[in-house]
Amino acid sequence: MGIWEGHRRASRRMPRDPAVDIEVRNVTMEFRRAKDEATSLKELAVRTLRRQHSYETFRALDRVSFSIRKGEVVGIVGTNGSGKSTLLKIISGALVPTCGQVLVDKSKVQLLTLGTGFDLELTGRENVYLNGAIIGYTKRYIDEKYDQIVAFAELEGFMEEKVRNYSSGMVSRLGFAIATVRDTPEILILDEVLSVGDLFFRKKSEARIREMIHGGSTVLIVSHSTSVIRGNCSKAIWIEKGKLRAMGDPKSVCDAYEGMKGG
Amino acid sequence: MTRAQQRKQHAFVIRQLTARELKRKYARSYLGIVWSVLNPLLSMAVLSLIFSQLFRRSIDNYPIYYLTGYILWQAFTGATTSAMTTLVDNKALLLKVKFPMELFVLTRAYTALINLGYSLAAYVVMLAVFQVTPKWTMAFSVVIIACLFLFALGLSYILATAYVFFGDVRHLYTVVLTLWMYCSAIFYPVEQLQGPIRAVIDANPLYVYIHCLRKAVMSGALPTGFELAQMLLWGVGTAAVGYWVFRRSKNRIMQRV
Repeated sequence: MGIWEGHRRASRRMPRDPAVDIEVRNVTMEFRRAKDEATSLKELAVRTLRRQHSYETFRALDRVSFSIRKGEVVGIVGTNGSGKSTLLKIISGALVPTCGQVLVDKSKVQLLTLGTGFDLELTGRENVYLNGAIIGYTKRYIDEKYDQIVAFAELEGFMEEKVRNYSSGMVSRLGFAIATVRDTPEILILDEVLSVGDLFFRKKSEARIREMIHGGSTVLIVSHSTSVIRGNCSKAIWIEKGKLRAMGDPKSVCDAYEGMKGG
Repeated sequence: MTRAQQRKQHAFVIRQLTARELKRKYARSYLGIVWSVLNPLLSMAVLSLIFSQLFRRSIDNYPIYYLTGYILWQAFTGATTSAMTTLVDNKALLLKVKFPMELFVLTRAYTALINLGYSLAAYVVMLAVFQVTPKWTMAFSVVIIACLFLFALGLSYILATAYVFFGDVRHLYTVVLTLWMYCSAIFYPVEQLQGPIRAVIDANPLYVYIHCLRKAVMSGALPTGFELAQMLLWGVGTAAVGYWVFRRSKNRIMQRV
């Protein structure tokens, strides 16, 4: 029984073809939203008594399918609210889709986002440990890489100060340094991380991201900026209102996307 | 990552998050962490001054009677009320992290346990001041506190889940806590009550924990077999139910947060 279950689980989660890293099959994500939702118990009680439950389903993703081969660098474009981040959350395993499935080895996936998980009342040093622990570094690893993180963020001499007193550029530099210090994971998901800090730091951070991209891992980039996607990706996917609109050569997909935005 | 490594990593995360909670609490104060002992000590001093006049005749060593109940009650409310909002407070982190979100609830309950440790330090001072002789049964308090921790943790899971969906659970719970406090015989002698109210108090798990700790500290008696069974069942049972509810709602919590 146990073995059988383990087998079933493994075959459900990993793509069959070993050259494919991420396989998204017919994924639909629906959020059930009660029309002006009951946010209090009293409202809920009143409505249940009157049988006034009316739901509307909001479809964030509508039968999206694609597969990403090993070593591909794929950019995802789409306007705000088009379902990009929902898709990322499903691929990284934070959400389970309503229908369809995503075949991916979740232990290889690393989602890189910035600007979350800092505590203003703690010092820079304490935040490195807190943030590192949260994104999965061991204590030993952080001890080892601490100086490197501080050096990359150019924050020598500020680490014993509270993050409250940092400028916003300093905070995002530190966040970027912590998140990218690791060895490149096999599947890397970048959620709008390519515009951090001032001009000088931006060059440095883009160089680091390129390094990670060219390190041979499979990369998924979500960005508003089509120039980032044109410059770095080998393939692009355009999602609009939850539907897959186009997929293929980054240039033509980005052109089509910009054409829609223009018209 | 092996299981053991994963455990270790989770323990590291809990320690980091707990350290953050504790540091935050005293972030802007001059004395910092000293307040963790000073605060319970001062409030204990005030409370024993006031209440020792009140029930002097019916209870021996009333301040200790009161304080024993008070620190357990504080730990329980501290754990449950802070754990209730933890998922909403840490919303931004939930989608980013790789570790199970149970750890957020566990962290808040664990923080309350650490705070209880500081209160116990102050409590020991008060025991000395009121000349309570040390007894070997006091060691049993570890078991009592462990059971109370499980009970609070289980309830925390349920409250944290409920709070994600209904914001006013918090207000409701404040009212429930007030009622619950009066039913826990923290500051009055339970012998004065009879009838149905007495039955409610005897069935109240918190009262059982408080009562057993009082016995262990003040009269050097161990809990009866029945009381021990009550403590264990409430603790383990609530933790199991809470965990089950939480696991079941996990996906809906993620959609909602």
